[in-house]
Amino acid sequence: MSTASTKPGTVKERAGLALNDEFLRKAVKFTTERLRSGKKAASEEHGNWDDWRERGRQIRLHTIAHLDYYLNLFADNARANGVNVHFAETDVEAVKIALAIAERKQAKSVVKSKSMVTEELHLNHALEKIGVEAIETDLGEYIIQLAGETPSHIIIPAIHKNRYQIADLLSAEAGETLAPDTQILAGFVRKKLREKFLEADIGMTGCNFAIAETGSMVLFENEGNARMVSTVPKTQITLMGMERIIPSFEDLEVMATLLPRSATGQKLTVYMSGITGPRRTEDADGPDEMHIIIVDNGRSNQLGDPEFQELLNCIRCGACLNACPVYRHIGGHAYGGTYSGPIGAVLTPALKKDESQWDDIANASSLCGACYEACPVKIPLHDMLVYLRRRKVESGNGNLLESVGMKGFSTLLGGSKRMRGVIRLGQLGQKLVERDGGIRIKLGPLKGWNTYRVTPSLPKQSFRDRWSTIQKETQAEGATLDPALKARMEAVVAERKQGGGSSHGGHA
Amino acid sequence: MKVSLFITCLSDAIYPRVGEAMVRLLARYGVQLEFPTVQTCCGQPAFNSGYWDDARKTATTLIEAFEDSDFVIAPSGSCIGMLHHYPKLFEKDPVMLERANKLQAKSYEFTQFLVKVLGVTDVGATFPHKVTYHPSCHGTRLLGVKEEPIALMNQVKGLELVPLPFAEDCCGFGGTFAVKMADISGAMVTEKVDHVLETEAEVLVGLDMACMMNIAGNLRYRDKPVRVMHLAELLYEGVK
Amino acid sequence: MADTHKEWLKELETASKSKQKSFIDSISSKLGRPRPMEKPAHPFRGAPDFWRTFEWSEEERIERFGANFKAAGGHVARLASFDEAKQFIADKAAEMSAKYIIRQGQPELEAMNLEDAMPDARITVWNTDEEENWRARAAEADFGVVVADYAVAYTGSITVVSAANKGRSVSLLPTVLFAIIPVERLKTRLGEALINFDQAGRENLPAGIHFISGPSRSADIENDLTIGVHGPGVVYALFVG
Repeated sequence: MSTASTKPGTVKERAGLALNDEFLRKAVKFTTERLRSGKKAASEEHGNWDDWRERGRQIRLHTIAHLDYYLNLFADNARANGVNVHFAETDVEAVKIALAIAERKQAKSVVKSKSMVTEELHLNHALEKIGVEAIETDLGEYIIQLAGETPSHIIIPAIHKNRYQIADLLSAEAGETLAPDTQILAGFVRKKLREKFLEADIGMTGCNFAIAETGSMVLFENEGNARMVSTVPKTQITLMGMERIIPSFEDLEVMATLLPRSATGQKLTVYMSGITGPRRTEDADGPDEMHIIIVDNGRSNQLGDPEFQELLNCIRCGACLNACPVYRHIGGHAYGGTYSGPIGAVLTPALKKDESQWDDIANASSLCGACYEACPVKIPLHDMLVYLRRRKVESGNGNLLESVGMKGFSTLLGGSKRMRGVIRLGQLGQKLVERDGGIRIKLGPLKGWNTYRVTPSLPKQSFRDRWSTIQKETQAEGATLDPALKARMEAVVAERKQGGGSSHGGHA
Repeated sequence: MKVSLFITCLSDAIYPRVGEAMVRLLARYGVQLEFPTVQTCCGQPAFNSGYWDDARKTATTLIEAFEDSDFVIAPSGSCIGMLHHYPKLFEKDPVMLERANKLQAKSYEFTQFLVKVLGVTDVGATFPHKVTYHPSCHGTRLLGVKEEPIALMNQVKGLELVPLPFAEDCCGFGGTFAVKMADISGAMVTEKVDHVLETEAEVLVGLDMACMMNIAGNLRYRDKPVRVMHLAELLYEGVK
Repeated sequence: MADTHKEWLKELETASKSKQKSFIDSISSKLGRPRPMEKPAHPFRGAPDFWRTFEWSEEERIERFGANFKAAGGHVARLASFDEAKQFIADKAAEMSAKYIIRQGQPELEAMNLEDAMPDARITVWNTDEEENWRARAAEADFGVVVADYAVAYTGSITVVSAANKGRSVSLLPTVLFAIIPVERLKTRLGEALINFDQAGRENLPAGIHFISGPSRSADIENDLTIGVHGPGVVYALFVG
């Protein structure tokens, strides 16, 4: 993998497809705008948002820095609650464990609530291969399953579809025409899936948070399907990323403050459930048998890596997707992995150790930092994207042409004389292509740029060329420095020398 | 007191009028900028693309150029933002790290210097036009320059500031991003210009000429006569 | 079969325990230090300090809960007594032609004697017969009636926890849910409810703890938060006291 040109399957090509899909662009834009304005309103109403973000970040930093302690504690406690705990280092191992349980239970069907980890493992396909029907019960996931697609958003899996497309899909399933009315569509799904819940042998869930001190797992949802999946079937299997841990229920208050507001702008999702083990002997519902599969699958690569450990702080709220202008234009599928948007662009390569397997996804960002600003636990995704690019270059998997270009760049700009020469060359060279102070040719390096813009031509004199004139004139006519201003400047310098330093910027 | 101008590549080669406006405006307060001509580029294109060895070369040139300055001022939040990455760039070299930290601590984006250091918000300008403002990502998000330009514009007589819808959205420039992912970038700048046109402003103002060049390029491509300026230009034009 | 299944689970447990050691040791090694055996000091536990002292008066709690719950599409009524709550539910049953009601076996509900006010409706009490398929019974019910363990004004949430006489299905499977909240159980902040679970400790926790903040909804079609899906589509919060 070197040149990021237009070979099939590149980010650029997938983005190109998305950019030409008006339906998709409109649907994604409409919904992400709703989500981000909802988040803005909810976080402003709550107040002190940055204090809460910082608190959330500190809790996550602390937990991940002691993940060995907390994960071990969680596993011991969950086992004490009667849960069968399993550890899977790879996706293959995790699938193997899940299938072994399904086979042992002679399961015919599995009802699933939303879980990005199971998407990561492609578990539905594996279950179907051994003859077990896997039914997604989250409305969005159900729609995507009917369409034979993968989710394109962490929170809103069918974000790339509008209500009319969804009505068509569900009508085909219903065998009658359903109106594109959300109430009617949801009503159909409710009826259809009710039977499935009551028949299913196994309920399968993801896990938003796992509480180390009590061995509980916590689910956030709006529909009630995750409650159904963890209440009705006799066997429950939960798949959780190894980093989902928080120490206590007290810490859950912070996560519950950050997650729903960041995800959908809600104060709390309709349901937040803490499940501590299988049903008690005297209870009349809840699973008889409960399994939790703890999945690594590349997550632990980030541990001990100062540039990427914070990636494990992610609480999967999707706020970075909604804030990202690139995501808004190309949607989730263009990212080419299970996780999309800024978090996906970082997570997808980071989960794979081998740089040669990384595609060009880290380049699909203008590094605008909207993701960092939106992140409820302040993960510096925009910095991580640069680190990924650097690692790819340093591992010898960079773009050959680009690396020659960058050598030239640093050589030419490594000295002011050479830089002046470059500008001169440009001033002369542009005479061939300039018209009315602009350059419009769509050739060579200007092709992409000039497809959307006119390039300004270089003025006859650069700033350097004009400097001596400007300097003479300002010195002749300039005022004397106001003592008050001088005092302010001196105070800043004095404060800096005392180590007060750069209070004027940098990451807030 | 040595206050140095860091002109930045774009302002040097393409928009000398921006640097000139800044120098002349500050001279009115008796702040005479000096211009170390050995300076070149901040190295951001190489840094952002992952070519840190190359970035270190140009960064070293800049660190040397401003070694004995008390303040370094540039008409770009993005290029000043890049100086904030220097400590990371030199994290394994204690000598250079020290020098990088010093440069970062004394570097200011133009409006930051004017408002935060000098305490000036009213430059006495008049500019009787309908203006909209695009806050560039690196200046606002990485440097935290949010209030300064607004405070300055609020004091300009006759200036009608119209809010830009979705102002905080990136214009799609992103340096080499605009070349590597040209179609995504094109979609972004097209959307940005749609929003600019919605405001019916005569003038679009900003603090970063890279973004302004991007937006102006699309405006011109679509034959839209919106004037695009750096705030330093606007203020200087208003006091001339 | 039962025995062999138990044995199979036992085998898995043995494998899991040995895997746990290598799994956790590998985390320690990546973190570059030995595994901590003592509980690490956690200086950022729970909500920020300024939040912990925040409290609304009872009147304000009821008002805020109501506003939040209604904004989420729920219904709220304030009633003087369990007797009034009984009448309220009976009136709603008549209005909606509800024929089958399932309720928890909580003492407050036993005392309320809903059966008395609704001679025509069929009312069953959760988990009163070991042979019954209670999940199916709850799924058929028009109304589910529960008494909340806590409620939270700031988020507009009702908390219910499971027990032998408190089915998880009763607040989940019926078409309409009535949750009776004795006002003294209404807290200001989420943390005031959550802290109880830390204090109870692992051994004393129920299998299911559920916070319910309105009728079942979905954000999945164009983020249109206006529709009911799997859980109850109509939810009443009835304050008593």
